Amino acid sequence: MITFEQATVTYPGGVKALTGLDLEIPDGQFVVIVGLSGAGKSTLIRTVNGLVPLTSGRVRVGDRDVTALSRRQLRSLRADIGMIFQQFNLVTRTTVLNNVLMGRLHRVPTWRSLVGWYGSHETEIAMRALERVEIVDKAYVRASNLSGGQQQRVGIARALAQEPTVMLADEPVASLDPPTSRAVMRDLQRINRELGITTLVNLHFLDLAREFADRIIGLRSGELVFDGPGSEADEKVFEQIYGRSLTAEDVLEAEASL
Amino acid sequence: MTTATTEAPPDTRRPKRPPPSPFAIGAIIGAVALTIATGADWRYGIGFSLTEVLTDLTRPNAPMRGLVNIDLSILTNSRFLDAFAETVQMAVIGTICGSIVALPLALLNSHIGAPNRIVYGAVKLFNNVIRSFPELLWALLFVAAVGIGALPGILALFFFSIAVVTKLTSDTIDGIDPGPIEAARASGAGHWQMLRTAVVPQILPGYTSFAMYCFELNLRASAVLGLVGAGGIGELLNFFRNQGAWPQVWGVVAGFVIIVIIVEQISMAVRRRLL
Amino acid sequence: MSEPQTTTEQRFDTIVRPEKPFNWFRLIVTGAIVAGLLGATLTVDANWSRLPDAPGQLWTIARLMFTNLDLDALPRALEGMWESVAIAWIGTIIGAILSLPLALLAATNISSRATVPGVRFVLNVLRAIPEIILAIVLIPIFGLGALAGTLAIGIGSIGTLGKLSAEIIEGCDAGPVEAADAAGASKTQRIRWSVLPQVMPEILALWLYRFEINIRASAVLGVVGAGGIGTMLQQTIEFRAWGQAGIALLVVVGVTILVDTISGYVRRRIIRGPSGKPQEEEPAAQAEAWI
Repeated sequence: MITFEQATVTYPGGVKALTGLDLEIPDGQFVVIVGLSGAGKSTLIRTVNGLVPLTSGRVRVGDRDVTALSRRQLRSLRADIGMIFQQFNLVTRTTVLNNVLMGRLHRVPTWRSLVGWYGSHETEIAMRALERVEIVDKAYVRASNLSGGQQQRVGIARALAQEPTVMLADEPVASLDPPTSRAVMRDLQRINRELGITTLVNLHFLDLAREFADRIIGLRSGELVFDGPGSEADEKVFEQIYGRSLTAEDVLEAEASL
Repeated sequence: MTTATTEAPPDTRRPKRPPPSPFAIGAIIGAVALTIATGADWRYGIGFSLTEVLTDLTRPNAPMRGLVNIDLSILTNSRFLDAFAETVQMAVIGTICGSIVALPLALLNSHIGAPNRIVYGAVKLFNNVIRSFPELLWALLFVAAVGIGALPGILALFFFSIAVVTKLTSDTIDGIDPGPIEAARASGAGHWQMLRTAVVPQILPGYTSFAMYCFELNLRASAVLGLVGAGGIGELLNFFRNQGAWPQVWGVVAGFVIIVIIVEQISMAVRRRLL
Repeated sequence: MSEPQTTTEQRFDTIVRPEKPFNWFRLIVTGAIVAGLLGATLTVDANWSRLPDAPGQLWTIARLMFTNLDLDALPRALEGMWESVAIAWIGTIIGAILSLPLALLAATNISSRATVPGVRFVLNVLRAIPEIILAIVLIPIFGLGALAGTLAIGIGSIGTLGKLSAEIIEGCDAGPVEAADAAGASKTQRIRWSVLPQVMPEILALWLYRFEINIRASAVLGVVGAGGIGTMLQQTIEFRAWGQAGIALLVVVGVTILVDTISGYVRRRIIRGPSGKPQEEEPAAQAEAWI
């Protein structure tokens, strides 16, 4: 269970990214967060693993209060939360396997990770994560030699290697073409179903959101404007979230047909 | 824009040529003043004059005569070969050891790599100080500390390499892709784990290239360390110079130049591939 | 720990994990570094037995230098350092003036294929000779003192400045050159109005950067008698007048850092241009990237 109580984030300079958000996300749910860019989606996701600290209010993950953790406790919380990024955030100059092993960093002593000695147990977990996203054949290929979709799968594998209980995905398909986007979303959904990992995904595309979400959360300038199952989110709801009528850019399939 | 044309007539006056920026004026005045102060012939100037240069050049002189009679047979002389081998050995040891120490220092010398402001400030200060030491000054100090020979030369190049490689490498760190750093933090990595997995792979090609560049610098530098007794080809140069044996001086310089150029061409070819 | 993964184990049976490929490149590089280091260390004729003394000796020297600084030596140190700065400044100007035409001759997008290799060769030879060695050769011609040092710094700068300026010129945008050509400009006019406006900020910054490097070189020219604070450094260290040597050292370090700071600021400002964009990114990294 992830709970937000009056969660507020104000950036230096007075920009309010989140204002007094209250939310409860039960374990195992697949939640999609929609909203315009700048609506606070990225901030919301990053408050869960403490990459963005709250200005006031509380965020709890399970029985841990993210806002009250020490540095060390925060690191151990992050180890239990996988994260996937829009730009994949891979070290492109090193191998796929080394990138995935980054997800094991919290489980190995610092000195061993410094010399690159992860050991067979950690390597096995990384390999299984790669198998789960069906890209294990590329384990020893440099990440820069992969396509965008393959790189995002490596990003997912890196998060899976953490053996997380929560998965955060910040615009995971925004840099991908439509068919690849759908495949990546299916991967995320399958992982959510098979492993029961609570999943929070930021999305811009409405049709993808409706297709994959158990629950949709709509944000507009840092405030909650919609919270309900994917089936309830029709065009009216989206127009309310976006504060304008929908355009072709808001729908993945329309973009594909262009 | 269209409304402006209907309400007010467009401003048709030609603009005045804007004055140069205060920065440009200041810089030009500063540069001219510094040039006059340093170049003029007064108590604190070096009194540079082209006529003096020309009259000195047209007088017959020993080095020019020596250049005409350059003695290239010195290149096969065992004294040259020994001195040259020592120069290379000093450069190799100094560069490798210095570069190894420079990697962690370079990490600490950047905003991303320093664990806190105090470490950052201390490392930055240390690095600025050792960077302002020319290699020959290190050699002077180490000759005083451990006596003459190759050892002070190696130590001088060691410190010189630390300064060069740390500076160049740390400058690249603040420009790397921050994505992997965020990914490492999000997966709960510690500070040094983050540096090792997200930063080091990104800077490694640059670092290797800088270390090789530093080897070129050290090879060149190790030729002068012998002037203060710190080993290498400089001792031979100093010997011939004190004898007034200019054909031999030029021979040594020519051999040295050829080898430096060859090493540089190889190193540049490798470095171009790295980056 | 990995039990969640076992639930769908069967699906992966068909996928084969790749073998870890053997990294020959890494082996060769590591081998070369280790062999080079070991080989050089074992064969070099260095008095390694004195290495353990080095830190202690250095510490003793530092203590002797800075615990009884000889303030009477300060005027002499400042005067010597000023002369070093003067040598570096005038030398940089000489190098800059002489290197610019050579750089134009060495740039492939400006000069004919016939002249480029020859000019590049001259620049490479000049680059390979350290300033101090130039000073040794120039002293018999111009006499002991700052003139020989200045010329040594000037000639020594031509090589690097020429090569790096040529690279900057080659990197300039060909569009404006073509436009000038289309407007009927002569070759000289094209260089003056299409090439130089594009490259001058970077070349100016390069000259300043060279000035910073030349200060370090001119601080030790005095070791061979070519003027500046080097003479004082050498004499005080050789005769173990540590109080005076400490003053000289402090002056060298202090002035070098001061000049670096001022010159670095001006360089960044030149590269950034007068528009004064907010300092969202630190351009120092690019500025130092010409090596």
